[in-house]
Amino acid sequence: MNINSNRKLIFISYLVIVVVVLLSLRLYFLQVMSGEIFAQAASENITRTRSTAAPRGNIYDRNGKLLVESVPTIAVAVDPYTVLGREDILTILSKKLKIPYNDLKKKLEEKKTTYIDRVIIKYDIDQETLVYLKENSSNLPGVEVMNIFLRKYNYGYLAAHVLGYTGEITEEKLKMEKYKTGYEGGDQIGLTGIEAQYEDILQGVKGKIIYEVDPLGRPTDIIEQTDYIPGNDIYITIDIELQRFVEETLATQLEQIRETKITNTNEYYRAGGGAAVVMDVKTGEVLAMVSNPTYDPSVFVGGISTTDWNELNKPANRNPLNNRALMGFPPGSVFKIATAYAGLSEEIINNSSSFRCAGTWYGLGSDYPKTCWNKGGHGGLNILGALQNSCDTFFYELGLRLYLKNKNADELLQKYCRILGYGTPTGIDLPNEESGIIPDKTWKKEWFKNDKANSIWFPGDTVNMSIGQGDVLVTPLQMAYSYMAVADRGIQHVPHILKDISEDSGEDLFDYSIGEVKDLSLNQDYLNTIESGLYLVTKQGTAASAFSGFPINEFPVAGKTGTAEFAGRQDYAWFSCYAPIDNPKYVIAIMLEESGGGGRNVAPIARRILEYLFNIESSGIVRSVDSFGD
Amino acid sequence: MAFKGRHIAGRSIDNSSFLEEINLDKEKKRTFKFDFVLLICVLLLSGFGLLVIYSATMFSLSANVSDPAYHFKKQLTILIVSIFIFGALLFFNYRRFKRFWIIVFIANILLLISVLIFGYEVNATKGWIDLKFTSIQPSEFSKIFMIVCVAAVLSKWRSEKKPVVSFKKVILSIFIVFLTIGLILLEPDFGQSIIIFIVFVLMLFVSGANFLYVLGVIGVTIGGVFAGLKMGLIQQYQLDRLLIFLKPDVKPEGAGYNLIQSKIAIGSGKLFGKGLFLGTQTNLNYVPESRTDFIFSVIGEEFGFVGAFITIIIFAIIIWRCFKIARQASDQFGFMVCAGVGFLILTQMTINIGMTIGLMPIIGIPLPFLSYGGSNLLSIFIGISLVENVYMRREMRKDYEIANEEFK
Repeated sequence: MNINSNRKLIFISYLVIVVVVLLSLRLYFLQVMSGEIFAQAASENITRTRSTAAPRGNIYDRNGKLLVESVPTIAVAVDPYTVLGREDILTILSKKLKIPYNDLKKKLEEKKTTYIDRVIIKYDIDQETLVYLKENSSNLPGVEVMNIFLRKYNYGYLAAHVLGYTGEITEEKLKMEKYKTGYEGGDQIGLTGIEAQYEDILQGVKGKIIYEVDPLGRPTDIIEQTDYIPGNDIYITIDIELQRFVEETLATQLEQIRETKITNTNEYYRAGGGAAVVMDVKTGEVLAMVSNPTYDPSVFVGGISTTDWNELNKPANRNPLNNRALMGFPPGSVFKIATAYAGLSEEIINNSSSFRCAGTWYGLGSDYPKTCWNKGGHGGLNILGALQNSCDTFFYELGLRLYLKNKNADELLQKYCRILGYGTPTGIDLPNEESGIIPDKTWKKEWFKNDKANSIWFPGDTVNMSIGQGDVLVTPLQMAYSYMAVADRGIQHVPHILKDISEDSGEDLFDYSIGEVKDLSLNQDYLNTIESGLYLVTKQGTAASAFSGFPINEFPVAGKTGTAEFAGRQDYAWFSCYAPIDNPKYVIAIMLEESGGGGRNVAPIARRILEYLFNIESSGIVRSVDSFGD
Repeated sequence: MAFKGRHIAGRSIDNSSFLEEINLDKEKKRTFKFDFVLLICVLLLSGFGLLVIYSATMFSLSANVSDPAYHFKKQLTILIVSIFIFGALLFFNYRRFKRFWIIVFIANILLLISVLIFGYEVNATKGWIDLKFTSIQPSEFSKIFMIVCVAAVLSKWRSEKKPVVSFKKVILSIFIVFLTIGLILLEPDFGQSIIIFIVFVLMLFVSGANFLYVLGVIGVTIGGVFAGLKMGLIQQYQLDRLLIFLKPDVKPEGAGYNLIQSKIAIGSGKLFGKGLFLGTQTNLNYVPESRTDFIFSVIGEEFGFVGAFITIIIFAIIIWRCFKIARQASDQFGFMVCAGVGFLILTQMTINIGMTIGLMPIIGIPLPFLSYGGSNLLSIFIGISLVENVYMRREMRKDYEIANEEFK
């Protein structure tokens, strides 16, 4: 060992000192300076917090009938991190829970990326499986047996669109502000309808168990436990028996229409679906809201299967999940009340102004003839006769004159449409309400921005609009809402579903702005005139045959039929009405897709509903067969 | 070649073997003249290791083990065997290893080849041979064998008048080391390969070789790694795994998770620790490999900063004694062996402790004396035994070698 070697070794000895100092400093930093933080992390490592699901509040109808309840059930949940990669556990679960191995693995792998540490893989397990899982829990780390609550629908498919359904919360929803606090993976939340609208009221507060675990995730000791608070029960304005009656009537009628050929052709009506709304004129309470075709919400309980989901979304099944009562459709003649009110208000017509209907109208010039539905022509008639017979010519002329006044600068017709509530959502307490369309210059410019020639407003647009055609879209709910304004002489009650909340906590959760009253300050004389016209519709007009035999003197009905043309489809049939005229109680709007004439095919449904509401003895569905159209 | 030349030379002027004869005669008198500080420190650490292993394993048993003291008992047996072998080796003059280094080298190579043929895999590394009653990890012994061979090659050959670290010697040592590393990389065991490489570079540095050789070896190796990367012999993910300590990921299956849990364990020990057997992190298996590579986490958690610091200090004392004995050694071979063993402990301790606290890459190597594992404990005891051996025979230098050098 020459001196050189010795010196180098001494140099390395200094290096040892440096290493010792560095390691010690790092340890000092970790253990003495940051010790508290790491101690916290260590204790979090050995404790787990598990929440216990609270039962969702029940939903009752207006008469206290239990529509939807929560029933306790036992579910199996797993932690994907622990279980994936443990083939033995996956195999046992697959066999015991009768889930195909690959499906199970795929489901967990999908969830693994999401940091959700509890995925429910099976609901409602039987006693034998439960005992097996409990006995073998030590061999099944990451597998948890949970007590949860699932929805039970006591009335099956009835009011499915109003009630909505629940389902497991998704990763995207968990990130949303609304679900930030109190929610976690595996939770059931309301996804549509009332379930979604009043999620915060129905949900309740989950209980919490804090416990210590061993490294395999098995609980060893409970540290803290708080009980859940069940969700609040709610009462809705729907009368389930009326709902049943309307749903069944609508379904039967659609079926009959489907068996009918279109006059003078060999083609059958498609009658793919429809919607009906029955509201209380004086409160805005929705007594029945029907959308056909419908679905059974219980298929969503415990997670909908892919087969069921695909089935519900098949175009051939005509989208049963859509709530057609809240979707916009071309209204046709039921819309004429708006044109009538606009004409009267702008003093373009008065009670006695009369136009001549010759079947064809040349108001837009001889190159643009427009026909009345009654090709023979109605002869000379005033506003009452025009409503009674649904004369298109009268309203073409009215529309044109509304356009010509101020060269459509004020868009007069649109103004009165909006006053009556078209073109904006009514504000009902249900999700996904559409606003419909009241077309105007701005709308047209935006809609046809790639078709410059079409993007300007023509007089013909106002003329088309005046009979509820063109680009006008109105939801059945809006239609009922606008007839409410006529019935109650300018007073509208915002439609609503929530009737009451039973607050167990004593806390007042009810939102008193629900069912808000709007005074539209309409002219009473004009409304009287329109009502007279609507009365004539059922008495001797387009709906007279549907109402033949109905005690029209005892329960006078104001109504309007509508048959809307829809490009590329068969006619959409409408009927909207309210009764009794002297003291209006109910307002009804019904729409049937591709079902021909409203007077022929829809008015009879309204008649049956009124018979039900007023306890009038009925002779069954009467479908008028005369050619009295529109 | 070098071997042949040395052999012939050895026969003609065999003065060192003559010295060895005399040394052997004196052996009995000097048996108990050894460094007690080193021995006490080593026994302290090993005994401490037994306790910590017991703590790390009593609650988390491997499959088909029911005795909580199973690992403790096994390690205790190995410790007793190690101490026995340690003692036995003291009677064996270390200079014989210099003479027969080629046999050590061949044994090393054969052992490493046999593990590739007969070995079994643990964590994707084929590094263990099952001998029925126990299993051995040849790469652990390789480190000691490599130190002996490199020390022999780099120290004064009998053919030389003056100790010179020639180019020929450096090339020979590189051949020995790279063959060893190459075989270990085939298992593959990156951790042990890195340790052997660092220890070799340090040994080359203190051997008296031209510093350019040291730089050359480092340069060629780094170049080789890059070339390997380019040619696809080394995969990017293998490099990423080494560098994970720079950016630990939080997924439980990742290596970064081990690091985070290890830091939580050590950090939560605070100043005085949670007490023996009371560490929740390590007892409850949050720190993986807590009885082997991450044993220091248990120390940090259960004995706090004080315990961890004392452990490091004891390591420092052991290393210091190795270096001190190296400088007192009677010949250059003794110097190189002691320095090599010191470097081995230094490197393994630095990297192992460093990786548990996030200062070093996570490469799977055990902590000397403390980690569970027979080959690790026995090989380091053999190393310490060699150091003591050198110490016991240090006097020789003054009495004979100076005279011998004058004689020459």
